[in-house]
Amino acid sequence: MSWARIAAIFLRIVQQFRRDRRTLALMFTVPVLVTLLVGYVVRSSEASLSVAVVEETVDPTSSFSPGGELLTALDQAGSVRAEGLPRAEAEERLDNGDVQGIVYLNYAAQAGTAVPKLDVELVLEGTNPQDSGAIVRAVQRGLLQVAVTGLGISLGLPELSPQELVAVQVSYVYGGPEFDFVDYEAPALIGFFAFFFVFLLTAVSFLRERSSGTLERLMAAPINRSEVVLGYMLGFGFFALIQSLAILMAAVLILRIHYEGHLLLVFLIAGLITVGSVNLGIFLSTFARNELQVIQFVPLVIVPQGLLSGVIWSVDSLPGWLQVISHCLPLTYAIDALRNTMIKGQGLADSGVYANVLVMLAFAAFFVVLASRTVRQQVD
Amino acid sequence: MATEIAIEGQGLSKRFGSIEALRDVALTVPVGQTYGLLGPNGSGKTTFIRLVAGLVRPTAGRLTVLGQPMPSRRILGDIGYMPQTPALYLELTVRENLLFFARIYGAADRDRVEEVLSVVGLSERADSPVYALSGGMRQRTSLACALVHSPRLLLLDEPTVGVDPPLRVAFWQYFRRLNQEGVTILVSSHVMDEAERCDRLVLLRDGRILAEGSAGELRQQAGAPTLEEAFLRYAEDAGELG
Repeated sequence: MSWARIAAIFLRIVQQFRRDRRTLALMFTVPVLVTLLVGYVVRSSEASLSVAVVEETVDPTSSFSPGGELLTALDQAGSVRAEGLPRAEAEERLDNGDVQGIVYLNYAAQAGTAVPKLDVELVLEGTNPQDSGAIVRAVQRGLLQVAVTGLGISLGLPELSPQELVAVQVSYVYGGPEFDFVDYEAPALIGFFAFFFVFLLTAVSFLRERSSGTLERLMAAPINRSEVVLGYMLGFGFFALIQSLAILMAAVLILRIHYEGHLLLVFLIAGLITVGSVNLGIFLSTFARNELQVIQFVPLVIVPQGLLSGVIWSVDSLPGWLQVISHCLPLTYAIDALRNTMIKGQGLADSGVYANVLVMLAFAAFFVVLASRTVRQQVD
Repeated sequence: MATEIAIEGQGLSKRFGSIEALRDVALTVPVGQTYGLLGPNGSGKTTFIRLVAGLVRPTAGRLTVLGQPMPSRRILGDIGYMPQTPALYLELTVRENLLFFARIYGAADRDRVEEVLSVVGLSERADSPVYALSGGMRQRTSLACALVHSPRLLLLDEPTVGVDPPLRVAFWQYFRRLNQEGVTILVSSHVMDEAERCDRLVLLRDGRILAEGSAGELRQQAGAPTLEEAFLRYAEDAGELG
């Protein structure tokens, strides 16, 4: 093992990268842009929902207005915008898409009891199930507050606010009330991009190394396979760490995600991802004859990991048999570890990090063996 | 480990699946000579060179290179190998390619890099990336990469393909000088007039040695005025025997 030779390969990869401006831009600007895009898209779509509140009957004997209370409650919660409108106008707005739902409130005296009844009808635009769910949740929460206020009034205690009648204390173990999907997503993007780009770039450059004959030239020199593999890991690891740092900075400084992690730990995890993906890239480059055939590995290697490793949908929410597959994918462990450190602030001593790191080490070792067995291939 | 024999092969055979690339080849190359491998495409020239370079293991037979039984990693640092296609890093400059291979051989000496650059006539293009070079310049860069660590044995697989005649002459003069410094050269070619410049020649066909000797001896034995005709005679004889 000669560090001078490993350093020579490392330096060469850095030099090649520096010349290849487009790849350099691809590796750093694309992940940052995608991260920012995810941030803005997610945040704007959550705040863009609005509902109309139509109050059908007003009880002349009571000063209590359920519509007004609901508007106040929705306003306070802030997850959807709400506006009180007459029926005709509300329906017109639903038709042309200005509002995604209408809440009809009918507050009327009931026969045989002194307590009036509140009838609620919610009409949803309904094309986007995610939007529908968000509106239903917001309206339900708002109605709970209306009911509590109404309860206070019917008990003859109008001076009491709903908070005084029913107190719900919300606290968060991790995250917080302002915690959103972007906070959840940023760690996954760091893991995903480190894996994706390093895999693709290693596979292509090793393919070139094989087809141009430079690998044969290396094999005719007194360098051994592990030195080649190590040089590659250092070279691509270096760029993967810069990439992780760029994504992290964009997420923390521009998107202002809630970041509790330790930078060195993020680097360690990104580094381990690199070890795995460099070696997987070297291994799979054996089975490609040209660049297009490398791209053909993307749906095979990258897409399943994007879907099943918890990048967007958490692994726990998948059906059992898919979870089995998830647990065979290295990225699952990387993303879990990144979330545990970046969101929960866990350190290497916490099982949420070290257990994942151990599995990643095992994956890395496995891929190193695969790669070093195939380094010489097509040379022989 | 001074030895008078640079390459000694006995009963060397190499089989790739069902293809027999080399059949029972025996060859002795003395130190300080330029030895030519001559034959058509697919005759086994490249396989023999790759065998000596330690890139493939023989299916049968024994091979000793610079006194070491092959395969031996230890001896690889004393061998310079120039593959048939200019195997270079296109994004790197000429000088960066040379420095890279020098470092791999543990011989990163900037003076030596400049010296080799001037030998191949590329001092002025040293900072050009390889992708901007013509085919001949790439071939010269490739030769420089094989020379940069001052090897004792130089393996050249068709080194002058795409090189202009004046430069080709310069190459051969340089090879001569290397011989005088004790460097052994094993070179493959299918250009007959180039073969004339070798100390000794091996005529290869279908992985078998047809004949061996200096260009003059080969012509004389075959009773042919040119090396080309001599080659055809030997091939005919072998065909009759086979």
